[in-house]
Amino acid sequence: MIENWVGFHTLVKREWQRTMKILNQVIWPPIITTVLYVFVFGLALGSRIKSVDGVSYGAFLIPGLIMLQIIDASYGECSSSLFQSRFLGSIGELLVAPLSAFELVSGFLLAGVMRAFFIAFLILSVGAVLTHALPHVWWLAIVVVGLVATLFSALGIVFGLMAEKFDHIAVLTTFVITPLTFVGGVFTSITFLPPLMRFISYVNPIFYMIDALRYCFTLHSDVSIVLSLTVITSLTAAATFLAFQLVASGYKLRL
Amino acid sequence: MSETAPAISIAGIRKRYGAVQALDGVSFEVAQGEFFGFLGPNGAGKTTTINALMGLARLDEGEISIFGYDTVRDWRQARAMVGLAPQEYNFDRYLSIRDVLIYQAGYFGLTSRAVAARADELLARFSLTSKANDPYTRLSGGMKRRLTLARALIHSPRLLVLDEPTAGVDVELRLELWELLRELNRDGMTIFLTTHYLDEAESLCRRIGIIDDGRLKALEPTQRLLELAGATVLNVTLDRQVRSLPVECAELRPSFEPGSRQVTFEGVAPSGLSRALFILENAGFSIEDVAFSRPSLQEVFLKMTHRRGAM
Repeated sequence: MIENWVGFHTLVKREWQRTMKILNQVIWPPIITTVLYVFVFGLALGSRIKSVDGVSYGAFLIPGLIMLQIIDASYGECSSSLFQSRFLGSIGELLVAPLSAFELVSGFLLAGVMRAFFIAFLILSVGAVLTHALPHVWWLAIVVVGLVATLFSALGIVFGLMAEKFDHIAVLTTFVITPLTFVGGVFTSITFLPPLMRFISYVNPIFYMIDALRYCFTLHSDVSIVLSLTVITSLTAAATFLAFQLVASGYKLRL
Repeated sequence: MSETAPAISIAGIRKRYGAVQALDGVSFEVAQGEFFGFLGPNGAGKTTTINALMGLARLDEGEISIFGYDTVRDWRQARAMVGLAPQEYNFDRYLSIRDVLIYQAGYFGLTSRAVAARADELLARFSLTSKANDPYTRLSGGMKRRLTLARALIHSPRLLVLDEPTAGVDVELRLELWELLRELNRDGMTIFLTTHYLDEAESLCRRIGIIDDGRLKALEPTQRLLELAGATVLNVTLDRQVRSLPVECAELRPSFEPGSRQVTFEGVAPSGLSRALFILENAGFSIEDVAFSRPSLQEVFLKMTHRRGAM
C-alpha cells in the first residue's frame, strides 16, 4: 500500500498545480460545450419533447453532459500528463524517487478523479442554473462519478504509457470514447431507439455510466442500477489493474 | 545501512537491449567517500550502468547495492541514498525552479516545510536565487546545469551520481562546478562521475573505471592508470651540443642525437628529475630549459578502448 505518503501527496499536488496552470484549457471548453448543448438541443428538441423520465429535456441532458465531460477530464489529465512527462523526460524525477508503482498509479488516479469532480461541479452548476437539474441521490452520484473518473484516469495512464506520439492519445478519444458517448444515451433515452440501436447500446459500456448517473437525477433508468454499477465497477477494476501492472512492470518507464 | 558497506557494489550485471549486449558482466565497488570516475566511449555502457544503479533499467542478471541496500529488494532505502544529476534537463516545466527543488524533496518523502530552507540555501549556493520563481525554461544553459546539481542534492543524498555534469558549460563555470564537487566530496559525499572530459576525471577522481562494449576494461587509481599509459619523459636543453654523457647518467636511460643540445630521459620518476639535472650540471653543462611531460588520461583511454574516435 502507500508508505511514502509525503511523496504520494506531492505527486497529487503537482498534478493539481499542473491543472491550475492550464485552467483556461480545463474549465472553459466543458462549460461552453455544455451551454451550447443545452441551448442548441434544448431549443431544437425541447419544444417537441416536453419531458423525459418526468423531467424537462434540458434537465434530462445534464447527467449525460456531466458524464461526457468527466470522461474527457479524467482521461485527458492522466494521459496527457503522463505522456508529456515521458516525452520531456520529467518522469525521471518520479522514477528515481522512493515511490512505488502503487503510489505512482494512485497519485495519478487521484489527480484525475479530483479534476473530474472539479469539472462535474462546474457542469452541475451550469446545469442547475440553466435547467434546475440537481441529483436526488447525491451519494450515488458521487460514487458513479468517482468510479467512472477512476476508470478513465486508469485508461489515461495506460494510453499515456503506450503512446509514442501525442496523436496516439487522441485515438481513444476520437475513435472510441466520443462515438460511444454520443450513442450512449446522452441526448435520448434508449427506449426511443429502434431495436437494433437499442441492442447496440446494451454493449456500449458508456451507456451504463450515463444511465447510472441519470438515475441519480431522475430516479429512472433504462436498465437496473445494480447492473450499471456492476458494469462500471468491473471495468474500473480491470482498467486500474492494467494500469498498475504496466507501471509495476516498468513498461516504457524502466528500460 | 552498514557503515562499512561500499557506497556502490555492482556484481556481475548484464543487460541486453535486443541484439546489443549493453552490459556484459560488469562488477566493481566504490568505497564510501570516494570520488570515482566512470569513463567509456559513446554506447560503451556508462548510461546503462547509471540507469541500473538508479533503478531506471532492469537487469537481466547481477546485483547492485547502495550502502548495503539491494536496489531491487531494498529499493526504497537504496533510492533515498542517491541523488542523480542526469545529462538531459528533465525538469518539470509547470513549476518554478524553487518548486522543482521542493517537489523533488517531496517525492523523497520530505515535507515542504522542512525543505523550503534547504531549497533556498541551495538556490543561493548555486547563484540561482534571482530566478527562484521562474520556470527552468527561462534559465541559461549554465544555470540549468547548476539546477540539475541542486535538485540532485535537495534530499541530502550520501551518493551523488553525475552524468556529464559539465557538458556544454563554459570554462569558468566548469572550474566552479569542479570546486563545488571537491567540496562535497571533502564533506564526505561519495561521487560517481561520468564525463567526456578526461582532464576532468584526471583532476577530480581518485579512482577510475573504464568501460567499453559493456565490459570493464580498467579499474585503477587514477595515478596507476597514468603510469600504465607509459613513461614520463624529461627533456633537458643544455647550453652546448652533447657528444657524450657521464656514466652516472646511464641508470636514468638518457638518449640524445649527437650534436644536439637536447637530452631525453624516458621513464624517469619524479625523484629522478633532480638527480638527472645534478649529474648534467656536475658534468659542466648549464641547463637552459627543462620540460617534463607525462602521459594523459586520454592516452590511457584510447589504449584501453582501442579507439581513436570521439568518446
